[in-house]
Amino acid sequence: MFLHNLKYELLAGFRAKELVIWLLIFPIALAVLFKVAFGDIYEKYEVFSSIPAAVVDIDRNPSLKSVLDGMESSGEPLMKVTYTDEEGAKELLKKDDVEGIIYAGADQLTLTVSGQGMSETLLKTFCDQYNKNAKIITDTAKKDPSKIAAVTSILMKETNAVKDAKLVRGNSNYYDEYFYNLIAMVALFGALIGLTVAVDNQANLSPLGARKNCSPTPKSLSLAASLISRFVLQTLCMTISVTFECFVLKIDFGDRLGLVYLAAILAGILGVSIGFAVGSIGTMEAKLKQTILTSVLMIFCFLSGLMDAGMKQRIAENVPFINRINPAAVITDSFHALNVYSDTKVYTEKIITMLIMTAVFSMLGFILTRRRKYASL
Amino acid sequence: MANTVVKIDGLVKRYKDLIALDHLALEIREGEVFGLLGPNGSGKTTTINCLLSLLAYDNGSIEIFGKPMTPTSYDIKREIGIIMQNVAVFDELTVYDNIDYFCGLYITDKAQRKQYVDEAIKFVGLEDFTKFYPKKLSGGLLRRLNIACGIAHKPKLIILDEPTVAVDPQSRNKILEGIEELNRQGATIIYTSHYMEEVEQICTRIAIMDKGHKVAEGTKEELKKMIKNTETISVEVRGLTDEIREQVASLPHVYLAEYTDGILKVCCSGGKHNLIRVLGVLQEHELHIGRVYSELPTLNDVFLEITGKALRDKED
Repeated sequence: MFLHNLKYELLAGFRAKELVIWLLIFPIALAVLFKVAFGDIYEKYEVFSSIPAAVVDIDRNPSLKSVLDGMESSGEPLMKVTYTDEEGAKELLKKDDVEGIIYAGADQLTLTVSGQGMSETLLKTFCDQYNKNAKIITDTAKKDPSKIAAVTSILMKETNAVKDAKLVRGNSNYYDEYFYNLIAMVALFGALIGLTVAVDNQANLSPLGARKNCSPTPKSLSLAASLISRFVLQTLCMTISVTFECFVLKIDFGDRLGLVYLAAILAGILGVSIGFAVGSIGTMEAKLKQTILTSVLMIFCFLSGLMDAGMKQRIAENVPFINRINPAAVITDSFHALNVYSDTKVYTEKIITMLIMTAVFSMLGFILTRRRKYASL
Repeated sequence: MANTVVKIDGLVKRYKDLIALDHLALEIREGEVFGLLGPNGSGKTTTINCLLSLLAYDNGSIEIFGKPMTPTSYDIKREIGIIMQNVAVFDELTVYDNIDYFCGLYITDKAQRKQYVDEAIKFVGLEDFTKFYPKKLSGGLLRRLNIACGIAHKPKLIILDEPTVAVDPQSRNKILEGIEELNRQGATIIYTSHYMEEVEQICTRIAIMDKGHKVAEGTKEELKKMIKNTETISVEVRGLTDEIREQVASLPHVYLAEYTDGILKVCCSGGKHNLIRVLGVLQEHELHIGRVYSELPTLNDVFLEITGKALRDKED
């Protein structure tokens, strides 16, 4: 009887136009839109780690030479430096062989660029930062030379902090985060089909639910078949979404694609269970529940930074607990962990959180829906 | 006497201050086509929902096949077929798949199920539509599909809650004939409606409900005997004076004579040859007589006399 239920729940699910539109076509269309919108930036971002730059008068600033050598030895240099004289630098800039010319003054750096773009901005940021640090050290030397060592140590710590972070072995592209967020959004859209599990099995929410409740099939069995069918459908949708982004749009998911698939699938299942739980609470009409669910999802997404990139950070600083219980934040964190850390400690932590949340939401749905008489229909 | 299939005793259902069912008692026997007749809001559907254990009630007891009905009475539910007021099918499944799905909730044996599904399709006349999706069906065909989903597993007790609402006459007749056939095949039927003609046509016993009360119960004949009126005579006549009307009113068995808009309405209680006597008085005064009707009481008359209002809502 379970397999009979599952078969038809799957069949009905595969034929549901809403499912195809919201869980397949819409995310794919959005991903294509992202790709087109970011296309130019995205490609440039791929090479920004080695911005070609010319450095003039390096002999006037030995400290700069040390910094640039240090950056080069880090393995991921920000700049690909050519040391030359002014004429040579201008020639290189004219031919677009370099993005900018850094003039090494004794006290500070000056920058000449030929255009306005990300590379130029990064070169300017580098020069500004260098000048700021140089001024701090110079001022300290003038006021209290004994503190130079301490100040230098603090500045070095900043550098070390960056070096100590375990960057992922392959991909560290900032723009990939948008696609990860998109996958998280698709996962949470699964809540909409999760809601139908509750609606289609409760007599007070749909005629279908009423008819099912009149049958001799135990409600727990009917619910389980419905829920599992939605899990399967959402798993398929998530797999297609990740595959499309990875192999059609050529989004770089790094070299741990299997873990990306795993996180996406679990996120989708979590989304379905959220919908199931919300659909099971209270006696409101199905449409009202759908409105509530959509609002809840929007709040989850807003707090996780899907709409405002800085929100999650602000939450992390002020109410970090929210990020640990917000499903949207947990989902994006799992992708972020794959994006940033080379080990899987944080990733595993997020996966376990997702599993626990899925279990809690599913149990809540079962408890609230199972074996119920209704006060009104 | 046939076995009792459904026994409802002292059923009370409240929605806050509104009493939807007020100490309702019903007994439905095996092989009956039992009609629950009443206007919208009289408590018919609430009774059915309580009966099916979908709705929690405040007091009373419900037994089906001699056992208390609960949400987990799966052995009882296996023998019940339900056709709800609202069509309850999957929009994404074909006619065949829908019937197979719902039949499969009751029948696990595949071969038997296939046979039952085929028989149900034939029974409701949807042979040419098995691969259609519900949205492609007309209202009448959709109702037939709804019925097929409810009866495919060959239940002993079939509950039909207003199955002919918004159905074309052809489909309505098909549905009513189908219900009679199901009854002939041995099923006990509970049929709710506010269409008295349907109830009169197919039901062997009827309970009339109003405001959560059972106001009358019995066969059609028994119900009609409960009221004073046995015959209503209407005569189109011109120039009827009050004197002549009073003469008609004084005839034996006549308890009411009204003259409005050129029509004389005479209500009789018992007696024979009432029409001849009324026409005799009119001819005696050489009045011009137009069309003449003699009507036996309907269930609406029964309802009207018991409750003081018409059975059918104005919009119906």
